[in-house]
Amino acid sequence: MLTSTLRTLTGAAILAVMTIPPALAQQKPAAKPDPRVAMGGYHPERMDSKGLAPHATPITITAPENIPVNRLQVPPGFKVELWAHGSPGARMMARGDKGTVFQGSRAIGRVYAIREKDGKRVSQIIAEKLVQPNGVLFHNGSLYVAAINKVLRYDDIENNLDSIPTPVDMTEAFKLPPEVHHNWKFLALGPDGKIYIQVGSPCNLCEINPGVHGQIRRYNLDGSGMEIVARGVRNSVGFDFHPQTGELWFTDNGRDWAGEDVFEEELNRVPADKIGGFFGFPYCHANGQPDPDIRVPNACANVILPVVTLGAHAAALGMRFYTGKMFPSEYQGAVIVARRGSWNRTIKNGYDVLRVNATADGKNPKITPLVTGFLDKEKNAFWGRPVDVMQMPDGSMLVADEQNGAIYRVSYGK
Amino acid sequence: MQLHHPARRDFRRAFFFFALLAICGTAMSQPRGDAARGAEKAAGCAACHGPEGRAPLPGMPALAGQQREFLETQLVLLREGLRNIPGMEGLLRQFNDRDLIDIAAYYSAAKPFTESGTRDPQKHAAGAAVSQGRACGSCHLSDYGGQRGIPRIINQREDYLAATLKAYRDDRRVGSDTNMNALMYGLSDQEIEALAHYLAHR
Repeated sequence: MLTSTLRTLTGAAILAVMTIPPALAQQKPAAKPDPRVAMGGYHPERMDSKGLAPHATPITITAPENIPVNRLQVPPGFKVELWAHGSPGARMMARGDKGTVFQGSRAIGRVYAIREKDGKRVSQIIAEKLVQPNGVLFHNGSLYVAAINKVLRYDDIENNLDSIPTPVDMTEAFKLPPEVHHNWKFLALGPDGKIYIQVGSPCNLCEINPGVHGQIRRYNLDGSGMEIVARGVRNSVGFDFHPQTGELWFTDNGRDWAGEDVFEEELNRVPADKIGGFFGFPYCHANGQPDPDIRVPNACANVILPVVTLGAHAAALGMRFYTGKMFPSEYQGAVIVARRGSWNRTIKNGYDVLRVNATADGKNPKITPLVTGFLDKEKNAFWGRPVDVMQMPDGSMLVADEQNGAIYRVSYGK
Repeated sequence: MQLHHPARRDFRRAFFFFALLAICGTAMSQPRGDAARGAEKAAGCAACHGPEGRAPLPGMPALAGQQREFLETQLVLLREGLRNIPGMEGLLRQFNDRDLIDIAAYYSAAKPFTESGTRDPQKHAAGAAVSQGRACGSCHLSDYGGQRGIPRIINQREDYLAATLKAYRDDRRVGSDTNMNALMYGLSDQEIEALAHYLAHR
């Protein structure tokens, strides 16, 4: 009964979207997604068992003695240690010129600042009651914070950590859509001096308005001059710029409820001559696989395919190119990416940090694990969820663990 | 000398402790929170939620037997004012994370609440259809008992369920993520009231 009802609903949704050619869809006004479409592609019968549900992040403090950092594994010569703790739900990282590490969050609505104070590394709440302030960016002394419904700028923040100034509210300038689902933000500063920010697709699988959703955009620092850099992006929560070419590379998460092994997450590249190019959602996933529910002819024609896929449901989020001097030469120019780990899969996967080597034009990708041990494969259980990585001036890498509100430092040699 | 007996008792106690630990280790993940301490901290909560959170006043949720992880998250969201119930924010400000973890342990261990009242067969059937359409049982499981961060919704107070689901629909309530907002979108008051009736009278 449940299944057939869902099939009927999904069928109705498919018929509805199939009658709208993609070109016309662009003219549709921005509207809240119809939930029958928002639930599009919901097919528990395709999964091995029911009861799959997102793992809610604990938003209470985890004491350092309860963080089993000794279970983490790194390649020979590397070392991993607990670097900071006590920031429940902390996610994306940005580093100030004076060494403060800022972290956004989701459910708990806080922005944290982690700094040395009286010889100790402490975590401090610098903003609260925001709606999923996931995106943080530091530039010219200012901290930019992107929540779902707000963009804020804290000027001269590192000199004012003891008395946080009222931020400049830039929300109006950025004109971000109000939908909450898949709309927590990631921020990065491009080599062109612009702010890059994504607008996710507000559903698991649905026909989106490509004029509004499923994009990566760039703006001038004041929020003016918006341009669409990538389209057909389902839910990206991480990007960076290639150290040689300056091209944007980004992670993107594949749709759920299609099966245990589909569709894989992507690591994408936006070629310089394809700014504004189309990356496939909702018609074409992963390495060129048409969607089984929203079907269009030639679903993968003119879709920019990924550099490499990063596992089904594994949630590849924060990524950075490694340009430091500390790690061995094979790390130079490699992508380091955090995989938060799966929920829509009976056998868990992800929960690690990977290195991806590829040529500057995205050829010959090779994946090598960097940090593992968050997941006990035998017990199919996890204790940590890496969500972001960030290179430090000495060439070590920080890894943010949302599950434990902790940061680990990965170093080599010495 | 009395040395032998306490020593042997210690040994026996230690043996029992480790045996228990072994059982706990396999049967469940590590125990979290001190329910007895939570009961002390939660003494004032009974005024509105009833003894052990089992007999709430109109419009208030039953807490007895609720999922522990769900309770922890909600207590933090309420304390931080992110889930905006001004009265609760004031009451919870005094508690640190450990207090809230203990309170969650206390209520989650209590015997679940059972709604009394009369079932309206027509409304019940209408609610069942809404539940199937939105696939509530996928995350809340087929008995609606919930799991981990997903709440127990079976036999919750009907008025509370209806108000909560409307608040999700109208983006006046946040959860640990945004799925409930997306799932309630587009339902009429009547459909939500039927769904609440169905869940409250299982």
